[in-house]
Order: sequence, then structure tokens, then C-alpha cells
Amino acid sequence: MNISGPDVVYVKDLEKRFGRFVAVDKISFSVKKGEVFGFLGPNGAGKSTTIRMLCGIMSPTSGYGQVAGHDIATEAEAIKHSIGYMSQKFSLYEDMTPFENIRFYLGVYEVPPEDWRERVEWVLDMASLQDVRDRVTKELPPGWRQRLALGCALLHRPEILFLDEPTSGVDPITRRHFWEFIDSLAEGGVTVFVTTHYMDEARNCRRVVMINEGRIVISGSPIEIISRVFPKKPEADLDDVFVRLMSRRTP
Amino acid sequence: MNPLHVKAIARKEFYHLIRDFRSLYLAFIMPLLLIFMFGYALSLDVDNVRTVIVDQDKTALSRDFIRKLNASAYFEIIRHLDDSRAAVRYLDQGVTTMVIVIPPGWTQDLTADRETSVQILLDGSDPNFAGLSRGYITAFVEAYNRDRLLSFLNRKGRETIEPPVDGRIRVWFNEDLDSRNFIVPGIIAIIIMIVGAMLTSLVIAREYENGTMETIRSLPIGGGEFLLGKAIPYFLIALTDVLVAVFMGQVLFGVVMKSSFWLMVLASAVYISVALCLGLLISIATKSQLVANQMAILITFLPSLLLSDFVFPVGNMPKIFQILTHVIPATYFIDILNGIYLRSLGFAHLWPSYVILVGMLIILGNIGFAMLKREGM
Repeated sequence: MNISGPDVVYVKDLEKRFGRFVAVDKISFSVKKGEVFGFLGPNGAGKSTTIRMLCGIMSPTSGYGQVAGHDIATEAEAIKHSIGYMSQKFSLYEDMTPFENIRFYLGVYEVPPEDWRERVEWVLDMASLQDVRDRVTKELPPGWRQRLALGCALLHRPEILFLDEPTSGVDPITRRHFWEFIDSLAEGGVTVFVTTHYMDEARNCRRVVMINEGRIVISGSPIEIISRVFPKKPEADLDDVFVRLMSRRTP
Repeated sequence: MNPLHVKAIARKEFYHLIRDFRSLYLAFIMPLLLIFMFGYALSLDVDNVRTVIVDQDKTALSRDFIRKLNASAYFEIIRHLDDSRAAVRYLDQGVTTMVIVIPPGWTQDLTADRETSVQILLDGSDPNFAGLSRGYITAFVEAYNRDRLLSFLNRKGRETIEPPVDGRIRVWFNEDLDSRNFIVPGIIAIIIMIVGAMLTSLVIAREYENGTMETIRSLPIGGGEFLLGKAIPYFLIALTDVLVAVFMGQVLFGVVMKSSFWLMVLASAVYISVALCLGLLISIATKSQLVANQMAILITFLPSLLLSDFVFPVGNMPKIFQILTHVIPATYFIDILNGIYLRSLGFAHLWPSYVILVGMLIILGNIGFAMLKREGM
């Protein structure tokens, strides 16, 4: 677990306000190439807002952020080309077949047409969707849709993959397969930035940052964090850490 | 603007369209229905005014009067009655719209050169219809009087004199005053608003409702590409509908274009684009299919129907509505179509309306672009 590559995500004093409400309160962190990075926090902590700013969907109120070498405030277009993003709803077009969904992404990601056939087969194999390639997506179970959405987000071979609560509503077996796949991606050099509030899943991350009410509460590897918060309690796990840290801030 | 992006979005939009029953209905069945309804049912012409005759005179002369009336294309005698109270019942029940009562002793008075009258009762519950019927029957009675006068003078051996002023009426542009000739252009304008604005008002709202807008924003798609890609399938459908309407107008109603076909296509293309822009704007602004649909009916379909000089003459409206008609795209489009269909005008006369429509298109397109930019595209 020795990662010392360059920073592919770098954030300094990043802030987002909606009127008087501070959603993200001057946070700073960085993610290295090939890392599986967990961004943890309860609902409404500012996870999705942060991920949206990093993906170039939303511009920050102040502060600086860099993703894949591009400034998030001014180079949203370039960022969108070098990242893949999957939202918590695996937002696919449900009235279209897996094949048609993939084709849409191929077009918008400007994959050269001569590579289309190969990429389509790659996604369908990876997601085990060959048998249902011409069925309408809404007939597929959530786990299958998740795999398809993931495949679509990877079609253009992005440097960084952003996953916003990627396993919500998916059964445990599918989740395990999912994390195995994420590991294999990271080994191939893809950086994976994932938000979740399932602490058992967060263990799969090499490094995590916990945020609450827009501020970073703690960061480090899961083991590090546990031993820092519960130095005298070896049986504690991330769940305990989460409960301890998140409840501390609300009086 | 990357053509690959536009193509991908247009293709996706096309899939949505052909897999959604409601959209298909609105796109293809609704226009046909409208053409039939407006073309056959909503004829604004008045002919064959249903008439009940109460002839209490029963002479050769009164029968001649009735025969002349029946010979006119404007009246259709549906009943001969003896009792005027029974005739009134017909009027009450709406079976007839006009009752003509010829009183007893009518011929006697007439031949004795005494002043006589026939009673004419009209159903005024539809003022437009009653007004036209009154015009027809008045003209008929005047013509009858003139004939009587001439034959009277003839009988007395006097020289016949023609009336000093003979108003010779010639109707231009729509010689038969056939309302279908101006209904067809109106229908085309309405169909475009339905297909263009009402259908497209759903398409971006749908992305918001299904959560796919989130994904769209994370993709390298520009606002202009997004709008264009969304609009293309609907543009093609609306244009097809226009051509079908033109064709059916010609085949079913015999409404023939007097000026250039391509001028009509150009006008339709511009007007369709305006309608699509409006629909997409509504969709971005409301983010909900239900609200978007209501809004589209309220701000595109109804004004096009009511304020475009199609059904209701703008000249009779209060000043404020007259001003309002100037911001409604349908006003200019119908103006162009009437010019093409009825007046055989060319581009030299019609260009101001084209320019205004293009201006509207540019303004709406830019607003849409700015709105999407604010949404993070």
C-alpha cells in the first residue's frame, strides 16, 4: 500500500455556498493516481456537492481545485473528457437497450467509430450483459443496471472515475463483485473516487476522508483512522469511528 | 459544436420518441385529428340555414315566394307548418334556426299595393350565425321587392328604370368566401405548436425527473449541442406533419397554394424552430413534465389559437390584446401562410414576417443556451 504517484485530484480551500447555506466549507485534500479514495459522510454532509464541483458540473464559490491537471473553475470541458461519472441513480435511459445506451456514450465521448465494436463488446462482457443487450434497460435488475452504468462511464477510458454512492440498492453479492472490479481498475492505473455511507464498503478504500457539515473531520487509511480514534480498542471498526465522529459535531 | 455529439443526442431522442405512446400520439394522430376536426366540423361558413315556413296565406303568390326561397343555396326548408306556435317550438328546441311566417291575406294586400310584411324569427344564440342568416334573408327580401317593383312598373306600361347605384361586389383572394381556405393555414400553425412546443416541453423535464440530467451534465456536451440534438427529431416530425397537412388540405378540401411551395417550407422551418425553442425553454425552466405541459398549453398553444387572427379577428380585440398579438410567433406565420395560400404574394412582400420570426428564433435560442450554461453545461 505504497502510493506515491502524482496528485490527480488536488483541492485547496474549496468552498460552495447556496445563499447563506455553506454546503462545502473550505476543504483541502488530494488524491493520488491509482488510488481508491473514499469520501465518507452522512447524508447532506456535502459529498455530492463536492463530487459535482470536481466533475465540472457545478462551479465553486471560492477556492481552488484541479482534476486530471485541469482547473475545475475554468476547464470543465476538459475535465469532462478525462473523467467518468456514475451517479447514485445509475441514471441510464431506461427505455433504451444496453446496446443503445452504450452507443449514446460512445458518441458523446467521441470514441473513434472504428473502436466502437470493440468497446461495446468490452462493456457487455465486463457487465455480463451479452444476453440482454437488446432488452429494454428498465426490465433489468438494479445490479445489472449498475454494471451497465459503470461500463458506460468507463467507455472512453477515463483517468479518474467518480462514483456517487455506487452501490445503493444493490445486493451484497453484486457489491462484492463491484468492489473486486474497482480494485482491478485501480491496479490498471485508474483513480477511483467514491462516496458512500456504507462503512463496510469504505474498508475497500486505500484512503478515506470523512466529512460532516461541509468540513473534513479526519483523513487517512481506514486502519490508521480507527487506531487514531480508538487507540485502546482494537476490535473497533469504521462504523464505530463514523458514529463517534459524526455525532460529536451535532450537540 | 461537435456533430458527433449532436448525432448521439438526436439518435437517443428518437428512441425516446418512438417508445413513448403519448408522444407518438401527439406527433402523428393528433395532427390528423385536428385536420379532420377543423376541416369538416369547424366550418365558419353559413349556408343551408334551416328554415321552417308557416304559410297562412296559401296562395299561388305565397307559394312562389317560398319556392324562390328554397331555390337559394342559403336556405333549406325543413318543414312546412300551419301553426306559428308549433314553429316556435322548433325554434325553442334548436331544430331550426329561422322561422318565416306569411300572414293570411298577404297576397290580397300585396296585389292591392298595400304595405305587407312577412315575419322572420331568428335564433340569436349563436350571434355570428344569426348575423349571417339575417344578412342572407334581408338580401333575399330586397331582391324579391325589386322584382315585384319591376313587374309592377311593367304592368303599368311604364319604362323600367334600373336602380341608380348597383353595388357590384367582387371578393378577392378567397372568391367563394370559403373559410376552409384560411383554416388550412391556421391548422398548420396550430399543429406545429402542438408537435413543436408541447412535445419538446417534455423532453428536458424528463431528463430532470429521471435523474439523467445529472449524467448529461457530467458529459462533455455543450448547451447548443444538447438543444440542437433534442430538437432535430421533433423538427423532422413537425415538418412531416406540415407536409401531410398541406397535402390533405389539397386533397380533402381542395385548398391549393397560390404562391411558392418552397416559401411555405422555409416559413414552416423557421416557425417550427421557434416553437421547438419555446418548448425546450419551458422544459428547462420547469423541470417537471406535468408543469411543462400545462405551461406549453398556456403560453404556446392557446395564444396561437386565440390571438393569432386565426379564429378571432384581432381587429375586434381590446387594445392590450392587439399589442399582445405582436409577440406571438403564430401571428407572423399565419400572415405568411395567408399571403402564400390566398394572396399569391412572394418573398418581396412577406420578408418582414420572416425576419421577425428569425429574430425570435435567435433571441429564444440564446436564452436557452444561457439557461443551460447556468445549469452547468
